[in-house]
Amino acid sequence: MWYIYKKELKTYFSTPFGFIFIGIFLLASGIVFTVYNLLGGNGDMTGMFSILSNISVMVFPVLTMRSFADERRAGTDKLLRTSRLNDYQIVVGKYLAAFTVFLTAVCATGFYVFLLAQYGYPNYSSIMGSYIGFILLGATFISICLFAAALCETHVTAAIFSFGLLFFVVIAKSFGSNLQIPVIKDIVNWIAITSKYDDFSRGILTLHSIVYYIGFSVFMVFISVKAEESQRYK
Amino acid sequence: MIDVKGLNKTYGDKRGVSDITFHIDKGEVVGLLGPNGAGKSTIMKMMAGYMLPTSGVIELDGVNIVENPKAVNQRIGFLAEIPPLYIDMSVTEYLGFICEIRGIPKKERKGHMEKIMGLARILEVKERLIRNLSKGYRQRVGFAQALVGFPEILILDEPTVGLDPKQITEVRGLIQDLSQNHTIILSSHILSEITMTCKRVIIIKEGKIATMDTVENLANNHSHGYLLTCASKQEGAVDQMKAVAGVTEVTEIESANATFKFMIKNESNVDVRADIFRAMVDLDMPILEFKPMEYSLEDAFLQITNIDEGGEE
Repeated sequence: MWYIYKKELKTYFSTPFGFIFIGIFLLASGIVFTVYNLLGGNGDMTGMFSILSNISVMVFPVLTMRSFADERRAGTDKLLRTSRLNDYQIVVGKYLAAFTVFLTAVCATGFYVFLLAQYGYPNYSSIMGSYIGFILLGATFISICLFAAALCETHVTAAIFSFGLLFFVVIAKSFGSNLQIPVIKDIVNWIAITSKYDDFSRGILTLHSIVYYIGFSVFMVFISVKAEESQRYK
Repeated sequence: MIDVKGLNKTYGDKRGVSDITFHIDKGEVVGLLGPNGAGKSTIMKMMAGYMLPTSGVIELDGVNIVENPKAVNQRIGFLAEIPPLYIDMSVTEYLGFICEIRGIPKKERKGHMEKIMGLARILEVKERLIRNLSKGYRQRVGFAQALVGFPEILILDEPTVGLDPKQITEVRGLIQDLSQNHTIILSSHILSEITMTCKRVIIIKEGKIATMDTVENLANNHSHGYLLTCASKQEGAVDQMKAVAGVTEVTEIESANATFKFMIKNESNVDVRADIFRAMVDLDMPILEFKPMEYSLEDAFLQITNIDEGGEE
């Protein structure tokens, strides 16, 4: 798995994809931070992360769109499948590499905390909660995008499908609150992954939310492995 | 060594290959020959463990590849039609990665890679990015990856496709070098390539095995005819030869300088030579030469796959 992880991580930074993701993420977070915190005179970063959690759905597909499409185009998926690696190692290696790039981008936003500390009195526990929540949310977004990528043959279709899925799970929050049919409402609320982020943005760390995000990510990675396995039958 | 039994692959309603059964012994160089789309690549992908068959068994020394692909992966090197390359890596980085995923111990990697690069003749480009290499070099890097771990069996799918004549010669030379120590299964639709490198040929047509035999036998078994040269020609000679049991066609093809040449075609399972000889004695036509028609693998291939002059099946 670590061989795949190292190879993927290197690919992110030897191709534009890693830089594009980090660049767009920092640009978006920088604009939100400037408007919400600096110009608004606000020392609380939870609002910035709440806005970011919605607009970052446009950036995550960039991170995973090439994960499987590149391998299929170049035929290197044959290499991996005929090696000693199994599909779990391949998919988890790719997932962790994408997560590392995301984590790198999130770490760079630590500069904003530094700025707030220089000129104000930030609420560190709230900031910590927001960071943990946003990282968990990002990990879940990546797992959803990876699943979409595992089903698609090209970059473009992977990006569009990933965006579609992320858009659906983000709008499901407002969609679910208006539903009256009990079972469907429960399902939609379960899918609405951003709704669980609200606890974190209030500075509350609940085991339920943490388990939910980790469980969701594990499930999506699992079905990505199954999608990849199904390629052998094609 | 390799046993393929009743192999089938379907794509939805479409049948890819059907009822493929053959055996390959250790050290053999076997060619899979067939028109484009016949199913050669599908068979090879399944043998390499890359693709699962719909039904059937592939065994390597009794181990089922379909059920235990990881148990035999170390013993098989596979070069797909398009060499599987990470073009953003240098040759050394790429082969290092392949060594890692094939489980070559870290302390042995450097020496192992040097050996492989020497065999594939890519030492001079080892630090270059693969994206900057010519197609010939890329093909050789593809070869090198198939050689990582020195697997006993090499499966090479159209290894010379798209190369220029010089590169083709180089790659053929490489295959011949490797054939000394490896069992090689090679696919191609180029007949000369198979003739030059393989001892035995399996001809695939529309997803099924049309025939399999040695290159020589294939050519000979499909040469159901003789060339007869006589010193004289009698009235009714052609009719008398046609009357011989088993003869299907007699054509006079050349008459010059008191020599008369005839092409005699016969049924595949009937030896007509003795009867033709007696007929010539009865006709008082002295035989100057009597030999089987020289058929090439190409003639046999065209006959087996029923390809017409336009190249269409």
